[in-house]
Parts: sequence; structure tokens; C-alpha cells
Amino acid sequence: MKELLRLWQLFKPYRHWIGAGYLIAFITLLANVTLLAISGWFITAMAVAGVGGVAMNYFTPATLIRASAVARTGGRYLERLVSHEATLRQLSGLRLWFYSHLEPLAPARLQEFHSGDLLSRIRADIDALDNFYVRVLIPVLVAISATLGFFVFTAVYDLRLALSLLLLLLLAGVALPTASRHLGRTPGRQLVETEAQLRQTVIDGTQGLSELLVFGAADTHARRLDALSAELIDAQDRMSRLAGLAQGGVGLCANLALWLAIWLGLPLLQQGTLAPPQLAMLALLALASFEAVAPLPLAFQQLESTLTAARRLFEIVDTTPAAPEPTGPARHPQHFDLSVRELHFRYPQAERDALSDFSFELPAGKRLAIVGPTGSGKTTLFSLLLRFWLPDSGRIELGGVPLNELQGEELRRHLALMSQHTHLFNTSIRDNLRLAAPEASEATLQDACRTAQIHDFIAALPEGYDTWVGETGVRLSGGQARRIAIARALLKDAPILLLDEPTEGLDGPTEQALMQAIDQIMIGRSTLLITHRPIALARMDEILVLDQGRIAERGSHQELLNGSLYPRLLGFNADTPE
Amino acid sequence: MPTPAVPDSPPTKRPKADSKHQAKQFLDRHKPLTGSYLRLAIAMHLGSGALLIAQAWILAHVVNAFVFEGADRATLTPWMLPLLGLFALRALLSWAGEQTAFRAAAGVKRHLRDRVYRHIQAIGPQWMSGQRSGALAEDLTKGIEALEAYFARYLPAMAITMLLPLAILVVVAPLDWLSSLVMALTAPLIPIFMILIGTRVEAINQQQWKSLARMGAHFLDVIQGLTTLKLFNASRREARVIAEISEDYRRRTMEVLRVAFLSSAVLEFFSTLGIAIIAVFIGFRLYQLDLPLPEAMAPPEISFLNGFFILLLAPEFFLPLRNLGTHYHGRLEAIAAAERLAEILATPLPERPMIGAASAASSGQCLASDSPLAIRFEDVHFAYEAGRPALAGANFVMNPGERVALVGPSGAGKTTIANLLLGFGQPDAGRILIDDLALADLDLNDWRRRLAWLPQRPRLFQGSVLDNIRLGAPEASLEDSIAAARRAQAAEFIDQLPEGYHTRVGEQGVGLSGGQIQRIALARAFLRDARLVILDEATASLDPANEALVQAGIDALARDRGMLIIAHRLATVRQADCILVLVGGRIAEQGTHDELLAQCGHYARMAQGTLDSLPHPSNASGATS
Repeated sequence: MKELLRLWQLFKPYRHWIGAGYLIAFITLLANVTLLAISGWFITAMAVAGVGGVAMNYFTPATLIRASAVARTGGRYLERLVSHEATLRQLSGLRLWFYSHLEPLAPARLQEFHSGDLLSRIRADIDALDNFYVRVLIPVLVAISATLGFFVFTAVYDLRLALSLLLLLLLAGVALPTASRHLGRTPGRQLVETEAQLRQTVIDGTQGLSELLVFGAADTHARRLDALSAELIDAQDRMSRLAGLAQGGVGLCANLALWLAIWLGLPLLQQGTLAPPQLAMLALLALASFEAVAPLPLAFQQLESTLTAARRLFEIVDTTPAAPEPTGPARHPQHFDLSVRELHFRYPQAERDALSDFSFELPAGKRLAIVGPTGSGKTTLFSLLLRFWLPDSGRIELGGVPLNELQGEELRRHLALMSQHTHLFNTSIRDNLRLAAPEASEATLQDACRTAQIHDFIAALPEGYDTWVGETGVRLSGGQARRIAIARALLKDAPILLLDEPTEGLDGPTEQALMQAIDQIMIGRSTLLITHRPIALARMDEILVLDQGRIAERGSHQELLNGSLYPRLLGFNADTPE
Repeated sequence: MPTPAVPDSPPTKRPKADSKHQAKQFLDRHKPLTGSYLRLAIAMHLGSGALLIAQAWILAHVVNAFVFEGADRATLTPWMLPLLGLFALRALLSWAGEQTAFRAAAGVKRHLRDRVYRHIQAIGPQWMSGQRSGALAEDLTKGIEALEAYFARYLPAMAITMLLPLAILVVVAPLDWLSSLVMALTAPLIPIFMILIGTRVEAINQQQWKSLARMGAHFLDVIQGLTTLKLFNASRREARVIAEISEDYRRRTMEVLRVAFLSSAVLEFFSTLGIAIIAVFIGFRLYQLDLPLPEAMAPPEISFLNGFFILLLAPEFFLPLRNLGTHYHGRLEAIAAAERLAEILATPLPERPMIGAASAASSGQCLASDSPLAIRFEDVHFAYEAGRPALAGANFVMNPGERVALVGPSGAGKTTIANLLLGFGQPDAGRILIDDLALADLDLNDWRRRLAWLPQRPRLFQGSVLDNIRLGAPEASLEDSIAAARRAQAAEFIDQLPEGYHTRVGEQGVGLSGGQIQRIALARAFLRDARLVILDEATASLDPANEALVQAGIDALARDRGMLIIAHRLATVRQADCILVLVGGRIAEQGTHDELLAQCGHYARMAQGTLDSLPHPSNASGATS
């Protein structure tokens, strides 16, 4: 119920569309039922009059029949058009709504979700919500008003007849849907979840194909996919059995209503309270009126799928970002001194602090390096500086403004990150570069690429900057992709550089050239560098040596060389481990 | 993504009409997979139709009786009771028919999903690099589901459309030729109009499907790159792109639907018109009015009983034709989806398919179990796409048990050599020999069983840490897996995970750092008792202390095995028995570290930078020996 209310809230902005859809659907239904009922009456009356040789006005009913035929045809066309236009508009809006809630969660809160699963949410789950509008909301409104109308109309002739019709309509329109909803709950949920799993498995199996092949796991993966496919079909099978039941049930109720109308009407004919043409009309009306409730059992059977989809969307929407945006007035740092004081941070469910009692100052234009073993908290520090997480205690200030009072976008405007793990989008090299600077001129793009030691390579490609990089940059070698990502970060032209082993994995000459270029870029900018390359470390103003989230040693390269941990981390004088 | 102006996929130059024709053939070819369910579903629909005619006949009788014979309940009971039986039977048939139709499609769906995916596997990673996984995920989920409309709805509906109206016509004709004439004349108009409109729908429907696939692919790319978007403050800009793409999808869908709905409306109009003409002709005759017909066509007399019976049948006559309009739309969607699926299946397999239990992949020669694995590249040429050679005559020999390092600027072809050895591609010219047998003639599965591979960016699959370690050896015990993790220096951090080895990890790994993912991948390689280890920049992103630990593990792994390393680290390079310097797709130099330094060539220049960065080179090498 709670989800239904929330869904309704989401659809509220479209209530005018919904109102229009309802009205057209209602009129169409009435026209259709009228057509059948009047036709039955008309033919019978004509026959009776013909046999008796009595004159009758056949123009009025003939006009009515024509009118309802036109209304039915036109109405159905309009109804479909309006309801689908409305639905697609809503879905379009919902996708944006979902994205706007998804975006703040990256990356901290999205780690536990598979991208294929998120894809299912933004694609399939949102699509599934249209079921709510097209198959639930409007049909229920139409069914309620139409059922009332049919009941009152029949009651004018005979109450018992009307009550029997009402009973059967309720059976088909309330009891059957309730049962369908109940029975469809489990398979409905399975349907959504299995489909999402299937998507994930496909993405794993395509993006990870090389590894599956080499490790001989491709067949196993194919079998897993097939098993999920079978599971999905199994859930669908159960749903189809239910659908058949509901379909047969509604048909049976409609037929019974016709039967009962005749059975109950026969004595009325004898008494003379009902004329034969009227009975023919009421009988056909009873049969036709079930069109009003026919879509409901199926709709309610699928309601669980819709609600599961809605729940999966709400799950994301309700997740609080790891670093919620500040609510106060927007603040802008006036300078770029970075100050970190007594920082403590622990990942949720982690057993120990990722960073503890961590302090440093980075005045604008200075260079600070961070060295430490894997897992010592270097990357965590960057995540905190980028405001992907908020510290548990302590404070980070940029230009005197505490980070938790700064808008994420305002903060990140001043930071450029170069790391090993930036994503290249499945588009051209140029578009990937433009991401950082949409307005940049061609010359600016090329300059950045020259600095990143990648221009010559790009220029030599047949399609140059228009070369398509492929999904996650797969059409480039690792080093090429990295340098394009570095060029992109350069284009951002931010006053603070966060460098996370930017040259790792590049060959010697390239690394050297790139480091020289970065050296140039660092002039006039603050730099935080994660590395263990002595050549880079020698040029830093201060070096922090991290161990298990704490600053174990600090000082300049020369000072630290006499320490204990630092030389070992750089690979000097290390005891050979075995 | 900066702009939505992205090609949907690498350009495919297949004529449109041709591919549509293929899609239809494709659907036809898979009809046998529906088994007897399809025929059964049609039979049930027909049975239900026959019962409907009987039901109309009885009803007409009843109405006639109470209108003209003043019949009461007692006289009508013999008619009314069988009616109840008919109702029950029809409900039963409707229930069973629905399921049978579903099962007809179920077989096709499951078969195709499996086949298409396995075909993708067999085509291999090279083809994948030109594809979008998001779009493939759409094809294999929604695309396959779209086939249901064709097999479960359209095909039965098509059969019914042929048979049921014909049956009604046969029943009506002897009773009133005029009504049957009206039916016979109006009915064909419906399919004619439908086809006229349908051809137009077909074209835009295909576009709509592409738009859908594009949406899926784009969203996946965005989701996977969300952090990057955020870093560049581009995530809000992206919201606009998403809005645009959704709007584009809406417009295209509505384009299809408008035409589809129009065609339904036209069908509706014709069927309503047909029913109205029949009703008017019957009504006029019952009222003894003259019909506006020429003398020659003197209309026959008609009784109320027959008139009412025909009137009840008239809507049923047009119903299957009208329904066909609805199902026709489903058919178009299925064709659009089938076109994509057929395109994938029509993608020729490489000369040596990547995998395939029963196919050519496993038909090659198997190496002897104790094969030493000497590798020889003989003038190997290879290009990923024409005009961009990745290897241009690579020649080298790797002796059994040797440790060979590949160095060279990025893009020189290092990864390509690894890819060819892994069987992801065939040399365009030249050959690769393994123990004097051409790699091209070897059983790929058997060959890969001898390999362990640590790629540049290892991927973790859905499942637990343990599942991921056991990827290449699912039958390995927990103890063996832990031992492998220990050797890969992964055991310590795995023990600290919330559920240890049973912690579930996602594609990028829950909260795992790059180094941790790499060590899990290394454990994966350890667990596989391979003869040849291929490492691709395996120690990148580890700090020297950890790197030393991992290197120790790798050294252990390399003992008695051959190892090919795509290397950047001096430490790994120095220890190699042979260093191959790759420049522009050729081996420019080869030899040991000292030999190459003495040559003062490419290697010496490359090493210069790295050497300079190490103040104490002698110590540095000591760290890992």
C-alpha cells in the first residue's frame, strides 16, 4: 500500500494526462456497451414490430447505434494515443528523477551494486512502472465508475437483476484480481529479480569474456545464463497459468451474467414488467459490461512486478548519499590552502579505521606526496578530499571553508584527479576530452594531448580525434587510454592536482616525458601525489608516510631516507621477503 | 557523455531489406522449436471457436423462444442447462490455451538465449571490443522476450484468422446468403489495409528498437563512468543527455504507436461497419422494409431466430481479424529483435571459434600432457582493423620454462602478442608454433588449460571471493583456494572481509582496491596448475613492499613454468631470461638486460628513464631477488 501511495505521488504531476486518459477510456467503454445493448434491443423490437405489423421509430436507435460505433472507434484510438503519450512522458521524467537520485550516490554507495543491476533499474524497472498507470490506475477508475453506471441502469428495470450483475462484476473485478494479486506475488517478484540477474550475467559474460575463455569458465558461465533463463521462464510460466485462470474466469463471469439475466428475466416477461426487447437489451448489456473489469485480474497479477520494480527504484532513491550536499548558502573558497585536521574515517562495516588522527596542511602552490603500502588509506584520503565520503570526525578545509559546507560541484571544480582508474566513455576521443572542457577549442585539446604524450599517437590514427574508443576504452591499449584520461584531467585546469600514481604502468620514456610535463603543470598549482617513485618524491615539499591509516613518518625525501618505513616502501634496503 | 551523437555500433554495411528478410526467415526457422504446443494452442482456440458457435445458436434459440413463443423457465431449462456446460468448457479452454501458447514460445526463448550467448562467446573478445555490452544485454533480455509476441500470440492468431471466420462463414451462408456476402466482401479489406500500413510501421519499428538498444548501452556506460562524470562536474550535463535520449525514445516509440493505433482504428472501423451493415440488413427485413438493393439481388426472407444468431456471430467473425492487428504490432517488434539476434548469429565465427564443446574449437590436436611448451612466432602479422597493423612481422622464440619479458612503448603490440597466444585472434600472416605444432591447429580448450593469465584490468564476477578464485578450477577445495590466496598475498585482506572467502563481490569488487582485485586474480592464476603464465603489467598499482611480496609469489608460480611478462618494471625485466623489445609491431631487439644495455639501442634508451629514477639500482634489484 505504501508503495502504491508513493507511486501515486510520482504520477501526480501528470494528473491532467491521467484525467484525460480516464475520461476517454470511460466514454469508449460506454459507447461499446451501448452499441451492443441497443443493437440487441433494436433487432428484437424491429422483429416484434414486423411480426405485429406495428409502426415504430427506428431512426432514433439507428442514430444512437451509429453514434456509439463512431465513438467507440475514435475513442479507442484516442485513448491509446493519450495513454501511451502520457506514459512515455512519465517514464522519461522518471528516468531523470531516478538518475538525479543515483548520481549523488556515486561512487561511495554504488560499490555494492552491479552496474548491470543498476542498468536494469533505470531501464526495465522504470518501464515496468507504466503498468501502474496504463493497466492499474486508469482501468480501476473506469471499472469503478462503469460498474456503478451499469448497476444503476439495470436497477431501473429490476433490482434483483441489477444485484446479480453487480455480484458477478465484483467477483470478476474484485475477487479475481485479489486472488491473482495474491498468487502472482511470488512469481511476479521473481520475474523482476531474475531478469535483473540475467542482465548482470550477460554483462559479466560479455565484458569479462576474455577471462572466462582463458580460465575455461566460459561454458560454466553459459550454463549459468541458461539456468537463469530457465528460472525466468519458470516464473513466467506460473504467471501465464494465472493469467489463463483470470482470463477464463472473467469470461465465465460474463457468460454467467448473461445467463442469469435471462433466467431472472423470464418470470418478469410473464408478469409483463419487462418487454422482450428490453430483456434482450439487458442480457447483452450484462455480457458486454464485463469489458469494464476484464483487464483487472491481469493488472493485479502483474502488480507485484510493478511494485517490486518500484521498490528497487525506491531503494536507490532512499539511500542517503555518503556525503549529502550541504543545505546552507553556497560558499566559495577564496583561496586554495588545503587543511586537514585530526581526520578519522572508517568505512561502514569495517573493523578498523581507514584513516585515523590524520592532519596536514597544503598551502596553495605547495607539493605534498603520500607514500604507503597498499591499503594504508591513500585512496581513502583522496575520496575524502573529493567529498565522496565525509569524515567521521576532524575537518578538511579548502580556503578556510569546511568541506561539508561546500557544494560537491563547487569543490570538484577546483580539483583535478589523475588516477589509474578513470573511465573512458564509449564515444570518440574528442568527446571524451570535451567532457572536461565542453567549450575547449581544438587547439586546447591538442595541447593537452601533447602534454600527456598522446597527441602523436592520436594524430597518426586514420580518424584522428574522431576515433571511437570502444566500451571502457577497450579499443586502446592500457597506456594509451591512461594518457587520454590524463589529457582530460589536464583540460580541467584546476588549481589543485590529485595525482594517484599517474604514470604507473607506462613505459620508461613515456613516463619520463609525462612526469616532466606534470612538473610543468604543477607550477602555480597545489599538488597531492600518491606515488612511490623516488624521482617524483625528491621534488616534493613534504612527504607523508602512511601506515594503517596513520601518518607514520613525515618530512622531505632526504630526511625520510634515514627513517625506517620509507626506504623500505621505496624498495631500498628491504629485507627479502619469502 | 559529452554528446549523444554517438554511432549506434560500429558501422555495419548490410542492406536493410535484406536483413529484414533474414529476420523473417530466422523466425520461421525457429518455428519447429515450439514443438506441438503451437499446434495444440491453435487447436484449443479453434475448439473454443466451435463452442462459441454452438453457444450463439442456443442463445438465439432461447431469445427467440421468450420473444415469440412466450416460453417460461420450465420450457427453456433443456436449453439453458447445456449453456452452463458450454461456458465451463470455454473457460477451461481459455485457461489451457493461454498456457499452451506461452509454452510454445518458452522453448524458443530459452534455446535462442543460450545459442546467441554461446555464439558471442565463440566469436570472442575481439568482436566484443566493437560492441556495447549494454546493448547486448538488451538483446538477450528484452530482445528475446519480444519473440514471445510472435510465437505465442501472432502465430496462433494468424492460424485462427484463417480458420475461424471461414467456419462462421460456412455456418452463416446456408442461413442467409446476404449476410455471408457482406462478411466475405468486408473481411479481405482488413488484411489489405493492415499490410499497407504495416510496411511503414516496419521501418520505424526497427529504428525504435535501435533507439531502445542505444538507450540501454548509453545508460550502462553512464553508470559505469558515473564517478568520472562526477569528477568533471559533468553529471548534471549528463542529466540533459539522458533527458534527450529518453525523449528521443519516446518520440520514436510514439511514431510507431501512432501508426499501429491508426491501423487498429482502421480495422475497428471496417469491422464495425461490417457488423452495422449486417445488422441493418437483418433489421430491415425483420421489419419488412425494402432494402436498398437492386432487383436482381432480391434479399431472402429471414427469421428472427436466424437473424439473431447471425447477429451474435457477426462480431466473432471480425474479432480474430481485429486481434490480428494487435498481434501484428507484436510481430513487428519480434522482427526488429530477431534482426539483431540474427545479425549476431550471422557474425561469422573466427577460423578458430573461441569455444564450443562440440564445434571446431575442440577438434584440433591436443598437446602431450608433458609438453614443454616451446613457443615460436614466425613472421606474425596482425591488424585489429585494416590499416592499423598491431604486429608487422614479429619473430621470436621462447624456450620451455623460460621467463620472457616484453617491453616497448604502449601500442607497440605487447598486448597483441598475449592476445594471439591466448587464442583471441589468428595471425593475418605468419604462424605461431607451440612445440612445433601450429597454434592454429591446436585444440583451443586443451591449449588454454595450460595457461594462466593475469590481465591488465582483471575482472571480478558476481559471486563470492571464493567463486572468483576458483574461476578456472571450480572443483578446487577451500583449502587449496586459501593456499592460492596466501601465495598471492591475498589471504590477509580476504580474512578481514566481513564474510571472509564467502563475501560477495561485484564486477569491480565491493570496496576492494585495484591491488586487492589484482591479488585475487593472481590467486586465480595460482590455483590453475598452468604450464605457461602470461602476465600483463601485473604488478602495476602495488607499492614496492607489496609488489615485492606479489613478485615473490609470481616467482614461485614461475618455477618450472614458462612465463611471458608484459613488463614495465625494471625488477621484472632484469630477471627475465630474455627481453623482447617491441617497436612498431616488430621485435626490434632481444637479449638479456646486460646485453641489451650494451647495444645502446631502444632498450638502453627506455631503461635510461627508469634507471635514472632509481638512486640505488643495485639495491632495487636486491629487493625482489
